[in-house]
Amino acid sequence: MRPWFDYIRRTPLLLFLLGYTVLTGGPFLWVASMSLRTTAEIFADPYALPGHLHWEKFADAWMQSNYSTYFWNSTIAVGSAVAIVTVVGAMTAHCLARYQFRARRIVRFVILSGLVLPPQMLILSLFQILLDYHLYDTLPGLALVYVASQLGMTVYLLEGFFAQIPQDLFDAARMDGYSDFEIFWRITLPIGVPAIFTTVILNFVTLWNEFLYAVVLMTDDDKRTLPLGIMHFMGSHQLDVGMLATGLMIAIIPIALIYALFSETMIRGMSAGAVR
Amino acid sequence: MPPALDTRRPGDRNAASRQRATDGWRPPIATLALFLAPAILVYVGFTAYPVVRTFYNSVHLVGPNGAAEFVGTGNFSTALFADPVFWTAVRNTAIFTVVGTTVDVFGGLLLALCLFIKVPFTRSLRVIWFLPVLMSYVVVGIIWVWIYDYEWGVVNLLLRAIGLGTLAHSWLGSPDTALWAVMATHLWKWLGFNMIVFLAALHALPAEVLGAAELDNCGWLAKLVYIIIPMLRPTLVNLMVLSFVGKMMIFDLVWIMTQGGPLWATETVSTYVYKRAFDWNTFDLGYPSAVAVLWFLIIIAFVVVMSLLLRQRDRLEF
Repeated sequence: MRPWFDYIRRTPLLLFLLGYTVLTGGPFLWVASMSLRTTAEIFADPYALPGHLHWEKFADAWMQSNYSTYFWNSTIAVGSAVAIVTVVGAMTAHCLARYQFRARRIVRFVILSGLVLPPQMLILSLFQILLDYHLYDTLPGLALVYVASQLGMTVYLLEGFFAQIPQDLFDAARMDGYSDFEIFWRITLPIGVPAIFTTVILNFVTLWNEFLYAVVLMTDDDKRTLPLGIMHFMGSHQLDVGMLATGLMIAIIPIALIYALFSETMIRGMSAGAVR
Repeated sequence: MPPALDTRRPGDRNAASRQRATDGWRPPIATLALFLAPAILVYVGFTAYPVVRTFYNSVHLVGPNGAAEFVGTGNFSTALFADPVFWTAVRNTAIFTVVGTTVDVFGGLLLALCLFIKVPFTRSLRVIWFLPVLMSYVVVGIIWVWIYDYEWGVVNLLLRAIGLGTLAHSWLGSPDTALWAVMATHLWKWLGFNMIVFLAALHALPAEVLGAAELDNCGWLAKLVYIIIPMLRPTLVNLMVLSFVGKMMIFDLVWIMTQGGPLWATETVSTYVYKRAFDWNTFDLGYPSAVAVLWFLIIIAFVVVMSLLLRQRDRLEF
C-alpha cells in the first residue's frame, strides 16, 4: 500500500485523536489564559488570548482573597498526612512482607479492607468522633483522617514491592547482627525508595484534591484547604470569573509541576494500583 | 485513588511468599507490635470505630448533642417505603452508574486501542489524555460549569456558530439535561484512567497471538472481538467493578456542579446523605446513616454478583 493512501485512510482516526486532545487539554489552556486576564476582559471575549499579561492577579489572589491561607492549610494537612502515612505504611508493609506470624493474614485483610470502604460509611460518624476527640475543624484532625484514608493503598503498593526484595539480603543482615528495626531502616527503606517515592506522589495528588472529608470536617474560613477555599470563593464571588480562574491555577500548578516531572511514575503507579 | 476490590495477591507475589515461608525466623511479639501498632491504632480510631458507629447510628435517632434514641429498623423502613426523594436519588444514581460505567470502560478501551496501533505522538497524547484524571473535582467541576454556561459557555457558542442555536440550552439548569451534563464531565475526567490501565494490559498481551491473527488475515474488528477483548477480560472486569463502585458513591462532582438540583434532577444517594446530615435542619445523623448503610450493602451485593457472573473460572493460558 502506498503511504499517501494510508494517510488518507487514517484521516478520520487522526481527526479523532486531535479532537480528543483538544477536548482534554483545551480546558486547562483556557483556564490558564483566563487566569492572566481581568474579568472585564473575559466578559468582553471569553476565548481571546491574553493581550496584557496580568500577573498581578496571582499576587492579588494570594494576598487579598485568602488563597495563601488556603494554600498553606492544604500544604500542612496534606504534607503531614503524606509523611505519616508513608512511615506508618512502610512499617506495616515491611512487617507483612518479611515476617511469618499467626495473625498476618488477618492483619493484612483488615488493613486492605479499608480500600473497599465507601467514605460515606465513615463520614457521618467521623464528624461525631472528631467532635468527641476535640479534633473537629482542626488541621491535625483532618490530617489523621487523611492518613487513615490512604493507609490501605499505601500498604498495598509497598508490600508488593517489599516482598520482592531478596530474602538473602535480610539473612545476611541478621547474621551481621542488625536488629529488626535496623533492617527496616537500613535495608528495606533504602531499597524501597522507588516504590516509596511513587506512593508519596500518588498520595500527595489524591489528598491535595480531596474534597468530601474536608467539606464535612472543616468549617472555619482560616482552616479551609484549597479546594474548599475555591468553592467558598465561587459561592461568594460567582461572577468574578477572572479571579476564580487565578484561584484554579493556584490549585492546578503544583499538580501540573509534579506531573511534568514524573508523568511516567504517576501513570505506572496508578495503573499498578488498579490491576490487582 | 480508586479503591481496590480484589485483594488477592498476583502470581509473582505468591512465589515471593512461598519463598518467605521457608525462612524459619519468627520474630518476637514485641517486634511485631512495634511495627504494626501505629497502623492498627490509626485503623481502629479512624476506620473501624467509625464504621461500627455508623451501624449504631443507623438504628437510632441521633440528636444534635449526641443523644441517641433507639428506633430499631425505623430509619430503614422510612427510607424504603416513605421517602420519595430517596427513590429519586436511587434512580439518578442507577442511571449514572449503568450508563456511566458502560461508556467509561468501553470508551477507555477505544482510546487505548487508538494509542496501541502506533499513531504519531503516542507518548504525548497519552500524557495529555491522562491529565484530567489528576485534577481535583473542584477544578474540573468549575471549569465545566463555565463550559456549560448558557451565555458564554463553549458548548452553546459552538451550537450557535454552526446554526443550531435553537439547541442551545441551560445544560445544568434544566432538569432534563443536568444529570447527563454532569455524567459527561465525570466521564471526561475518568476516561484517561481506564485508558492507561487498558494500554498497560494491551502491551502485556503476547505479540505472537496478535501476529498469528494477522497472518490469518483477521480484520481489525474480528481481532478486537475474538482475540483482544477475551484476552483482556480480567482487566475489563476489574475496571468495570472499580468504575461501578466509584459511580455508585458519586458525591464531589455533583455537589460542586449542581448540589443535587435542579428539582432533585441530579440528586444522588451520597449527596442526599450529606444533605440530610448537614444541610437540612433536622439535626439527625441516624437517618442519613441508615441510608448510607443500606447503600453500602447494595454496593457489596452488586460487586459480589458482578464478580461471580463476569470473572472467568478458568484462566486463559498464554
